[in-house]
Amino acid sequence: MSGEEQSVVRCVGVSRIYEQAAAPVRALRNLDFEMARGDFVSLVGPSGSGKSTLLNLIGGLDQATEGEVFVDGVALTGLNQTRLADMRLHKIGFVFQSYNLIPVLSARENVEFILQLQGVRSAVRTQRTSEALAALAIEALAHRRPAELSGGQQQRVAIARAIVTNPVLLLADEPSANLDSAATGELLKLLRRLNDERGLSILTATHDPLVMRYAKRRMRLRDGAIVKDSALSPGTATDPMP
Amino acid sequence: MPLKLLLQLSGRNILRHRRRNGMMLAALVVAVASVVLMNGLIRGMQRDMADMAVDNLVGHVKVLAPGYRDDPGVQRSFALAADWRSALAPGLLEGWAARLQVPAVVISERGTRGVRLVGVHPVREAVSFLGDVEMAGEFLQDAGDGRILVGRALAEQLETAVGRRLVIITEGVDGRSREAGFRIAGLYDADGTALERAFVFTGVEALQKMLGTEAVTELSMRLHEESQLPQVKAALAASFAGLDVLDWRELQPQAAAMFVYADAAIFIWFLVMMGALAFGLMNTLITSIMERVRELGMLRALGLRGRSVVAQVVLESSLLMLIGVAAGVVLGWLLAQALGEGIDLSLWAEGVESFGMRAVLRPILLVEDVVLIAALSLVLGVAASLYPAWRVVRIKPLEALGR
Ligand SMILES: Nc1ncnc2c1ncn2[C@@H]1O[C@H](COP(=O)(O)OP(=O)(O)O)[C@@H](O)[C@H]1O
Ligand SMILES: [Mg+2]
Repeated sequence: MSGEEQSVVRCVGVSRIYEQAAAPVRALRNLDFEMARGDFVSLVGPSGSGKSTLLNLIGGLDQATEGEVFVDGVALTGLNQTRLADMRLHKIGFVFQSYNLIPVLSARENVEFILQLQGVRSAVRTQRTSEALAALAIEALAHRRPAELSGGQQQRVAIARAIVTNPVLLLADEPSANLDSAATGELLKLLRRLNDERGLSILTATHDPLVMRYAKRRMRLRDGAIVKDSALSPGTATDPMP
Repeated sequence: MPLKLLLQLSGRNILRHRRRNGMMLAALVVAVASVVLMNGLIRGMQRDMADMAVDNLVGHVKVLAPGYRDDPGVQRSFALAADWRSALAPGLLEGWAARLQVPAVVISERGTRGVRLVGVHPVREAVSFLGDVEMAGEFLQDAGDGRILVGRALAEQLETAVGRRLVIITEGVDGRSREAGFRIAGLYDADGTALERAFVFTGVEALQKMLGTEAVTELSMRLHEESQLPQVKAALAASFAGLDVLDWRELQPQAAAMFVYADAAIFIWFLVMMGALAFGLMNTLITSIMERVRELGMLRALGLRGRSVVAQVVLESSLLMLIGVAAGVVLGWLLAQALGEGIDLSLWAEGVESFGMRAVLRPILLVEDVVLIAALSLVLGVAASLYPAWRVVRIKPLEALGR
């Protein structure tokens, strides 16, 4: 598993230092990381270990202090804000901790608008939106607004929005943080299915042991460095890690 | 970002805060309506002032002997050639009148008043207010008619009536004073304006005979189109060399100045109302945008470009403005219609008329004014949204998401 065309993500010597008044915070320290296309990687580690920071760098929402980040073979360093925005729009699906749906749009519109942003034709849009809603089994909720949906339902809409563009990579930062365990279980099965059936590359950050179980690969961070990197046998249902 | 999506988001965001935006809209509507109405009233006033300035004996343009304005008298007169009109292109004039106007004193058994005695050709006076003035008694028969027309207000002061006689003293062309008795043919009613006390009319030929002259002191013209004034003035200046050719603005500088003030008043009223409103609008926008910082940050995280965020804020503001302006214009127009009969200023009429206004003020809405008000409001709406848009776009997506 080497070579840019094989890797959906490649980080080379990445550091991210937050300049603070007191003392600079080294959130990531000279980190090397490569993720293969179609993989399902779970970043784990205690709070403050740098998971979100890494996800933000890969998602083009933040820029590395040192090192290079490649997504789908493209170096993000040196892209301007507009280019980064376009990269996010076309290549990345985001699922945030809080679902971040637009309150004034219905579930369906929340999914469809991202295709509108991409400038996809109306007929194609309608079809792809329907597919995404169907993939997450939320067709029946299509006309509700976010306020009329449960947390789990909102997160499904958010995932539908993230996959409707067929991104090369799905980034999910603590996707289950606001869900109960039943809803979390549902969500994870869904992500795993998307990974299995569509070959969608997924990178999540979590400290929820449940989430870890569904990934194919687990990477443990501590103080901004990778301390353990382990492949998991698919379908491992139990994991002793806390 | 497709415009349709932007419009959809802006529209729904406006609906999201009905109360706040409703209040903002109400303020907008009232302000725009007041500007429209105010504008209509001031335009009505201007129209009245212009009409009256032209209607009284001024006309659009006048030819006078030099010095007549400072020291009017029969000595400052000129002979009018029979073919004077050949100097002007045909079709420019709606009408014209040559007059002999001199200061005079009228005396009745009850009182004495200083007036202007004006010799007129009755038919020619269609160009002035005399053309359709209300009369008690009779109008003058012809230019040789030696009777007089007196304003109702003056007749009241002199306690005289139709058919009675007044003595008039004035100066002849030889510098000696002339005194003669005149019978009153009719009393004219100029809506209670100052004209009634100022002017006494008689036949021009009769007056010429009394003063011993063949000349006139003024030639007044009314044009079909005021826009042709410069052209007419130039032609007259060439053919009446040595005489003064003056338009109504020069002859009635007060009315002309009021015109300028009225324009300024409209503009100031607009600036005050809309300026205050623009601040209110900006505040409303800032509140509503800052509430949505997270949401906008999320949109940008998903790939919405910064300029689209600006576009959305500007569009939202413009949409509010558009609705407010449309409703405000309609309301202003309705109010103007409701006042179509005019506001009766007769309570203050004494003061008002001396400014050359009518006792009844009718609003006039000019399409170009309304369009200008609407356009300026929209420009203000866009301007008011730029600062909030700039503020929100300055916040980085991650920072916004973290809020
Ligand atoms: N915007 C920021 N400014 C300063 N320090 C930050 C900022 N974001 C994160 N950090 C610090 O960087 C480190 C890593 O944070 P983060 O990536 O959020 O960890 P995790 O997601 O694993 O909990 C922490 O020490 C955190 O305090
Ligand atoms: Mg985190």
